[in-house]
Amino acid sequence: MARSMWRGAIQFGLVTIPVKLYLATESSSIGFNLLHEKDLSRIQMKIYCPVDDEVISRSETVRGYEWSKGKYVVVTEEDLESVPLKTVRSIEIEAFVASDEAEAKGARFVKQAYYLEPDEVGRKAFYLLKSVLADSAKTAVCKIVLKDREQLAVLNPYANTILLNTLHWPDEIRSLEELNLPEEQIEIKPAERKMAEQLIASMDAEFDPEQYRDEYREALMNVIEAKVAGEKPEPAQKAEPTRIGDLMAALEASVAAARETRRAGGDAQGTGAKKPAAKKAAAAKKPAAKKAAKGKARAKPAEAEEAPARRRKTA
Amino acid sequence: MTGEQLRLPVPDEPGPVRHLPAAVRPMVATPVDAPFDDRDYLFEPWWPGVRAIAFAERASLRLQVDGLADAMAAFPEVAGLPTQLAEDGVIVDGTLLVLDDDGRPDSGLLRIRLDGAGLPGRAAYVASDLLWAGGQPVTRRSFRIRRRWLESILAPGDRATVGRGYEADGTLVAEALASLGIEGLSARHLDARYRSGPATGAWLRAPITPAEPRPRPTLALILRLPIGD
Repeated sequence: MARSMWRGAIQFGLVTIPVKLYLATESSSIGFNLLHEKDLSRIQMKIYCPVDDEVISRSETVRGYEWSKGKYVVVTEEDLESVPLKTVRSIEIEAFVASDEAEAKGARFVKQAYYLEPDEVGRKAFYLLKSVLADSAKTAVCKIVLKDREQLAVLNPYANTILLNTLHWPDEIRSLEELNLPEEQIEIKPAERKMAEQLIASMDAEFDPEQYRDEYREALMNVIEAKVAGEKPEPAQKAEPTRIGDLMAALEASVAAARETRRAGGDAQGTGAKKPAAKKAAAAKKPAAKKAAKGKARAKPAEAEEAPARRRKTA
Repeated sequence: MTGEQLRLPVPDEPGPVRHLPAAVRPMVATPVDAPFDDRDYLFEPWWPGVRAIAFAERASLRLQVDGLADAMAAFPEVAGLPTQLAEDGVIVDGTLLVLDDDGRPDSGLLRIRLDGAGLPGRAAYVASDLLWAGGQPVTRRSFRIRRRWLESILAPGDRATVGRGYEADGTLVAEALASLGIEGLSARHLDARYRSGPATGAWLRAPITPAEPRPRPTLALILRLPIGD
């Protein structure tokens, strides 16, 4: 396996479990280089100071923190090193919390996933921790220093090891108030709910990540490979156009839902006072019109027999 | 419905195959006050589209749409309809729709096409009735038989299909349509012949009042998910 990117120990109470950390994921996106169009040579980025109007070297730069508009304080390497941190080289467990509660309260805002690998001396304690976490449905909340930064993280059992997920700090998580979300509860009618449930049930499946792939990446790779081979790439297929069959399926689903609602409601149908009243009015109006129409319909076949010639001419 | 009756073609007057007429005078539905239940009727949505008679002869398609000299130019997507037909010399009565990106019929997009101002959305044809098949008129047959024939000769496709219809339960279909935001119910008498002009009881149109203004996303949700079969 790849080289571990961090070495330290899980610590809680008096227990110390030495572990290594490995990145659990890697990026597979296609990288591009910026070239000079004229001769296709790699370009270079230079650091430019607009005040002195000159290109400067990296060694001439310092870190600055803008503490007020246009006002900076310089933060040196020494300053950074002097930051007191307790969590250096350790995964310090702060608390064990219920896993579902952790999920609900921010453990979903994951930055990066790491695999843990216990050193041989720590294996027993490591797997003891893992099995207790699993059996009690708990998540360990911990802190770890990675890349000079203290990070909030959670530990969860995963396959035959433990997964460490670094999380965003609460103040890095944006408020939902910026979004246009309804304040009141959206009213959903039983028929609508039934329809949605039916549709969801029809797509019920086991989650199998293997069946999903980055199709954009594949398509982009095809374009690139075709260019390398000197071919002209095929124009992209447009998204699947809407089909009339989908509309018929939607109709079918809503008729099925209406039928289901009627069946569930039985002949009582008296959940709301408004609807039955409207129905009654409609029912009272209908028979006359219907009877008249039907009378004509019934009379029609005979009438049609009388004038077949005329009909045939027009049809 | 016996197998004998389903076999095609069974023209009104067995005889030589004839050329299709240049135009037909379509049946016109009679308005009624409200949806109703009746075992003698087939209930369908009154699709928000434009009435179109499709003439298919020797693999080419002609559309008769009121007020449009060249309907094929306004609805080029449905030109493949003859390839879905198991018969030649066919006249179908139906509705042309223009679907938006969510697959929902959109009367605004339809208007633009009828005005010749562009080809937005995707056109589709919903067939309801059969007037000719195999180069012979079938208008004297009952709608029950015409509809079966229509279903047996027009294979469903992405741009044209026979619409779904439901016998007897008109008010139920109306409730379902209200939830889809469709404002009319079509009721065709199963024993009636195809009549040119006013249909009286052979074909009725009932208004559907949506119970309340409906948010659009519900339909989008339904359309995105594959259903049943």
